[in-house]
Amino acid sequence: MSVSSYVTAGSVDDVLAALAGGARPVAGGTDLVVGARSGKSSLPESLVAIHRVAELRGVRVSADGLRLGALASHEAICENEEIQARYSALADACTIVGSHATRAQGTIGGNLMNASPAMETGGPLICLGATVTLRSAAGERTIGLADLFTGPGKTVAEPGELLISVDVPAPAAGTGSAYLRLEYRRQMEIAVVGASALVTVDGGKVTDARIAMTALAPTIRHVPEAEAALIGSDGGPAAIEAAGEAVAAASSPISDVRGSAGYRRAMAAVIAGRAIEQALARARA
Amino acid sequence: MTAVEEPRAAAFVRPDGKEKVTGAGRYTADLNLTGQLVAKFRYADHTHARILRIDTARARALPGVLAVVTHEDVPDVLYGGMVKDRRLFAKEKVRFEGDIVAGVAATTAEIAECAAALIEVDYEPLPAITDFEASMGEGSALVHDDWESYEADDALLRDGNRLGYSTIVKGDAAAAMASADVVVKSRFVTDPVQGVPIEPRAVIAQWQGDKVTVWTSTQVPYAARGGIAHTLQIPESNVRVIVPLLGGGFGAKCDFHFEGHVAALARAARRPVKLVFSRREEFFAVGHRREGMVIELETGARADGTLLARRGRLVLDKGAYCGEGGFFAQMAAMHALGPYKIETADIESSLNYSTNQPSSSIRAPTAPQVCWALEQHMDELAEALGMDPIDLRRHTLIEEGTVTATGQKLERIAMKETLEKAVELIGYGQELPEDEAIGVAVGWWPCFAASSGAYVKLNGDGSGTIITGAQENGTGAVMAMPKFVAEELGMQPEDFSILYQDTDAAPSDMGSCGSQTTFNSGRAVIAAAVDLREQLLDAASDKLEAARDDLELVGGAVRVKGSPEKTVTIADLAGSGTFHGKGSGEPPEGPPAEPAEGCVGRLGLESFHAPQLIAHAARVRVDRATGVVRVLQVAAAHDCGRILNRLGADGQVYGGVVMGIGQALSEGTQLDAEGRHRNAHLTDYKLVTASDAPQIDVAWIETDTPGAGPKGSKGVGEPPCVPTAGAIANAIAKVIGSRVRSLPMTPERVWDASP
Ligand SMILES: Cc1cc2nc3c(=O)[nH]c(=O)nc-3n(C[C@H](O)[C@H](O)[C@H](O)COP(=O)(O)OP(=O)(O)OC[C@H]3O[C@@H](n4cnc5c(N)ncnc54)[C@H](O)[C@@H]3O)c2cc1C
Repeated sequence: MSVSSYVTAGSVDDVLAALAGGARPVAGGTDLVVGARSGKSSLPESLVAIHRVAELRGVRVSADGLRLGALASHEAICENEEIQARYSALADACTIVGSHATRAQGTIGGNLMNASPAMETGGPLICLGATVTLRSAAGERTIGLADLFTGPGKTVAEPGELLISVDVPAPAAGTGSAYLRLEYRRQMEIAVVGASALVTVDGGKVTDARIAMTALAPTIRHVPEAEAALIGSDGGPAAIEAAGEAVAAASSPISDVRGSAGYRRAMAAVIAGRAIEQALARARA
Repeated sequence: MTAVEEPRAAAFVRPDGKEKVTGAGRYTADLNLTGQLVAKFRYADHTHARILRIDTARARALPGVLAVVTHEDVPDVLYGGMVKDRRLFAKEKVRFEGDIVAGVAATTAEIAECAAALIEVDYEPLPAITDFEASMGEGSALVHDDWESYEADDALLRDGNRLGYSTIVKGDAAAAMASADVVVKSRFVTDPVQGVPIEPRAVIAQWQGDKVTVWTSTQVPYAARGGIAHTLQIPESNVRVIVPLLGGGFGAKCDFHFEGHVAALARAARRPVKLVFSRREEFFAVGHRREGMVIELETGARADGTLLARRGRLVLDKGAYCGEGGFFAQMAAMHALGPYKIETADIESSLNYSTNQPSSSIRAPTAPQVCWALEQHMDELAEALGMDPIDLRRHTLIEEGTVTATGQKLERIAMKETLEKAVELIGYGQELPEDEAIGVAVGWWPCFAASSGAYVKLNGDGSGTIITGAQENGTGAVMAMPKFVAEELGMQPEDFSILYQDTDAAPSDMGSCGSQTTFNSGRAVIAAAVDLREQLLDAASDKLEAARDDLELVGGAVRVKGSPEKTVTIADLAGSGTFHGKGSGEPPEGPPAEPAEGCVGRLGLESFHAPQLIAHAARVRVDRATGVVRVLQVAAAHDCGRILNRLGADGQVYGGVVMGIGQALSEGTQLDAEGRHRNAHLTDYKLVTASDAPQIDVAWIETDTPGAGPKGSKGVGEPPCVPTAGAIANAIAKVIGSRVRSLPMTPERVWDASP
């Protein structure tokens, strides 16, 4: 099938009107178009391009938190020094998306709405407690990011809903976060195993922890068992190892051309452990 | 013997570089002809099946479809390199995923695709024969039922699914093995690997009367012309093949193939037809990939390291068709000997049909895999002997005067010197972090002498044009020809344009394969330049009234030696006559070999003509917990004879090393139980990226090997691929303390192998 209608929207209202008429949004096109070219799924019949909509742009950091417009590029996010310092896991994730070209072209909205279980920014944003705002011609709602994903390529968003922004509350003092991905090569990777960690330390103790796993289950999700292994601990090697094992135990990896389930599960523990170590080091710094 | 440390001349920059880098260059896919149609293929729906019925009626009825072609619409002829075993369009059977059942030409790609899907094909599915080791077993079903009736080279020793069989036998290996102090046995397995040129294949065909012009991305335009003529049963003189810029080949674009299909479609449609492959087709549909192998090696040595006996059993996956890779069994056997002094040998090598994708030449065919196995095997032997692996190689490598196991006496070669140089460049023996190690591997590769021809003409303005049949596949070998010609004529490389890649223009040429372009086409071009120089000297001698012997060509002029004022410029001479040189040069004779009795399957590779000798050392870091390997540094020392263009030669090593790293660590085609590609795309067929490229140090040891090419050169294109994976494997083994016996050595395999 080929595209029979393509419009470039100038405002959010234009986009919502098009969506109400059955169109699908396209932002950077790095998932949608590339996926269609490679035969993953055909292009929708009707497309509305949203890249010119000024209201959807922007990266704003305030004392209360971080707001990302749906069109914020990976590059804009990972180059932001405040995000690097306070929302490190997100910066880690955006830094390793594809290549230079992918980072310049790909958007946070597209990354989240594509809902790949291997996608980079989901885990960090879940750990950081992000919410997303969805708007349709009928109205607006804000939901926790963890509730957005329902399966590979699937979200709770209705066809008429547009992701407007991502909000992230400011992390508590003494918090550090990190995202790590198993990488066979240095560029153009796709996560075979990824792990996000956010920890808050107070004195010698871990007072809060959020751990999420990527590419290890049908959706990116957090792992309460791993969090429990850390909260209240000293954040030492035994606690880290236990948390890593908990991630491995919670995972339901598949076997495919990228690796066997057994390897993925073993790597889940290794990568999660390393992400936690890094988050702790940042929290203590 | 001299070591080249510095470029000998100012760096020569290839003339096609800028247009390629800036995107101004025009490749086959960029060309469009008026009225052109789009071609699409209907591929086999099973990897192995009998075809019961093909019905194209619905496809033909689709508006916008101008031609549908099946085996019924072309002459019933078989084609292929050393075995004629393939039809353009499958007739009785399909034998692999990419077998073509029909072709469609339509006004748009969408219509052509739709029409291809509308062709009805009934099959009787047959069990896939994917296990190429089992396929030579007794009672195995045959990939080609009528293999005996095929036209083929007798020396192949075909038998059932075995397309080629070669042995190297010297002395009594069994007895020598029994007498050895130490015996080591190893088994290795390799996955198939793809060439992955950046430019996917494209072909355009246009008929005028009974003559056809074909623009195609091929490395071998003359073979393509011959293939079109043969499969369509038309005279070669009716076929003109032109190659626009070629976006890489790495061997994958050797051989005739899709040109015949497109020409047949264009003839049926009475319109120009264009085929452009998708990346997926570039993986699964091409009859060219590096073959999977099973490699079993056994070596017996005396306590001092002397190699008393080598046994080897190699099984190679030929896939469904022969293509031009019929020589692989013997080539692989030669690499199982390697560049070593071995007292006795018993090696057998089988090249087997399967219903997998056909394998054919990819940059140094068979060598990287066998070398990877052999060099690990040699390190295992060193360990069993309690010797340093470098010392073992110092003791056992070939050198001047060595008579190889096949009876070839080697003269003036610098094998050992390359080892010493690589070891020195990498800093072998240095203190390293515990997750790093250095591994070393050595290898060899022959030159291929062939006939070639070229013209060099002077234009009225004093510039020149080189007309060569050589093919530029991206190596820069053709691009360096102005440099050679300019040197003969005392002119500048920029003074010359090149007319090439047009079969109607230049004498026949083997094409861009076998690292032979400088060796053979370069020889012809230099001979043509020398011929032209003689003409210029004659003319200048008249004009300057001086004896020819007193003249020299310098700075774009002919002048009397010692009297620079007595000068006539080449531009002046060019205006006064038609100067054109032609040349072929004599292909150097290969070395004599007297293989021991009992060697069978001899195809001429039992001696290695002017061998290129290679030693690579790699420093790697292994993340033991994940198995991820990073190559940090590669030192590459080569004896490739005299280096004529240092910048170009270095470039071949950089590219070859990076390609070798891909083969070592990440590049492998994964097949399902039916023999279909599971990773026919660049997301999961993992090439090495620029960010993964290590520091690469290159050294050239220049020797004057008998039988070398022009000015003492050998080849440089293929050797850098040969020992890279072996060096990396040996380094990995040192870090993890055990061997990875499957190639590529992916993180999971390294992790699995780690104790
Ligand atoms: C070579 C390459 C490498 C890549 N590497 C990575 C990687 O390492 N990690 C990674 O996570 N991803 C990677 N990707 C995937 C992709 O680049 C990212 O997911 C990117 O962020 C997608 O953004 P986009 O704007 O291009 O999305 P698009 O392709 O424009 O859209 C993706 C999907 O989201 C929908 N959509 C887009 N915006 C909105 C919105 N505001 N509201 C509702 N729906 C919306 C679209 O309809 C579509 O279904 C890679 C892609 C390529 C081509």
